[in-house]
Amino acid sequence: MKEDIRKIIRQRKVLFDGGMGSMLIAAGLGEREIPEQWNFLHPEKVIDIHIAYLAAGADVIQTNSFGATSIKLSASEAGKALDPAEVNEKAAGLAFEALERAKAPDRYVAGDIGPTGEFFAPVGRLTEKRAREAFREQAEALERGGVDLFLIETMYDLREAVEALRAVKEVSKKPVAVEMTFDSKPKGYFTLMGDTPEKAAEILSAEGADLLGANCTLSSDRIIQLAPRFRGLTDMPLLFQPNAGSPAFTHGKAVYRQSPEEFARDIEKLLEAGIDAVGGCCGTTPDFTRELRKLIDGYQQQADDRES
Amino acid sequence: MKKHLEECAQSVLDGDQDKAEELAELTLKDSLPVLEVIEHGFVSGIREVGRLWEDGVLFLPELVMGAEAMKKAMEILQPALEASSEKQEKAGHVIIGTIEGDIHDIGKTLVATMLSANGFEITDLGADVPVADFVDEAEKKNADCIAISALLTTTMPGQKKVIDELENRSIRKKVRVLVGGAPCDEDWAEQIGADGYAGDAVAAVALVKRLLKKG
Repeated sequence: MKEDIRKIIRQRKVLFDGGMGSMLIAAGLGEREIPEQWNFLHPEKVIDIHIAYLAAGADVIQTNSFGATSIKLSASEAGKALDPAEVNEKAAGLAFEALERAKAPDRYVAGDIGPTGEFFAPVGRLTEKRAREAFREQAEALERGGVDLFLIETMYDLREAVEALRAVKEVSKKPVAVEMTFDSKPKGYFTLMGDTPEKAAEILSAEGADLLGANCTLSSDRIIQLAPRFRGLTDMPLLFQPNAGSPAFTHGKAVYRQSPEEFARDIEKLLEAGIDAVGGCCGTTPDFTRELRKLIDGYQQQADDRES
Repeated sequence: MKKHLEECAQSVLDGDQDKAEELAELTLKDSLPVLEVIEHGFVSGIREVGRLWEDGVLFLPELVMGAEAMKKAMEILQPALEASSEKQEKAGHVIIGTIEGDIHDIGKTLVATMLSANGFEITDLGADVPVADFVDEAEKKNADCIAISALLTTTMPGQKKVIDELENRSIRKKVRVLVGGAPCDEDWAEQIGADGYAGDAVAAVALVKRLLKKG
């Protein structure tokens, strides 16, 4: 029986995996394909990516289901052909298959939930009811797939994050992590909708999230300043997953400029600021995870030495 | 008059569509100078919205509502303007779309809305637009500018293909090309020979204005 991740995270730093989309692109994801399609077309490749992250030392891997709400799927031709429930259950199945093959049954599978891609009024026509139903359908399927925790991520609208969180809590008692995506503006950190870290921490903790955090949009060097600020807002465990630096183009292919070592140096500052769990987002690979593993192990060793 | 201009600007700043409509109608009823009301009233409001968005004071909902209020006022004032001898300086015609293989259209639509609110004529081709369509449309409309959005590192090369196609048809010099989207930056724009990069809708408006002034 696995220990509850909520307990683990109070004892030591936890490592989440890195980018899935950029890995799938490197593995040959076509221009008109969507990542979730590969759960059926190329399940072996999805499993291989999970295994690579596990081998690199990730404690938690994220299911390939970021865009697997009915709303998001129906926005693309490829997605329309997929059944949302099947996509999510399959995504969880592939992650557990990877755990088994990597002989790492004690690691964790996080059921990944991303935004619907639609906006609430006045920007768009999304309603709370429709968002909740879509998230509930996704969460139910991930729960059936047996995920150990849920990870609601890259949320640019607190209202939508709350709908996703409520939907998960309606169908599961598992821990839920919620990451908002903030941009750095002259007056501070804000989501696209203008939500601040303060407001996010207040509302998401009141709504019963177990982990809070920030991911995507900002690269590791630009997210550092957010860490102490977020840490000052709450005693809850915090999770940060920044992007690798912006991509450059060589021979028509996207290459991320930042090295895993540079990334890890920034992440060290997050750990020092009291962030409890870290990982990567867009552009990060198992090489980044490997560097973070080294970093965390070294960090933990120092902490243990200090205590003894 | 000064008060009227301020109210017009404020209605856009507040994103108050009803108020913007009411003020536009009042402009016609009282036979106020339409062009001046547009330029020093509503447009100055939308500029302020843009400035506050860049500073991180206003956010997406306010930006969209401001642009909508602006649009409502323009729907009323535009016909009157065209009928009168007053001529608004033609801002230019922009062809805009998200490149083929890419269905992300939020950013692109915002840029189109803001350009339109700033008086540009817009042809929005939508998302997943083939390379040739950008160029065909630019030729057909005799456009001043093509704005190409790409949100994926896999679709970004399509932006270069549009530029190549303009070269092929020997019309590259006739039209300015700007690129945008999360993975793009100034280096990328330079690398593919685009005329500029904009990071958000407000920057895009400023960039198009600057490019068309130079051209």
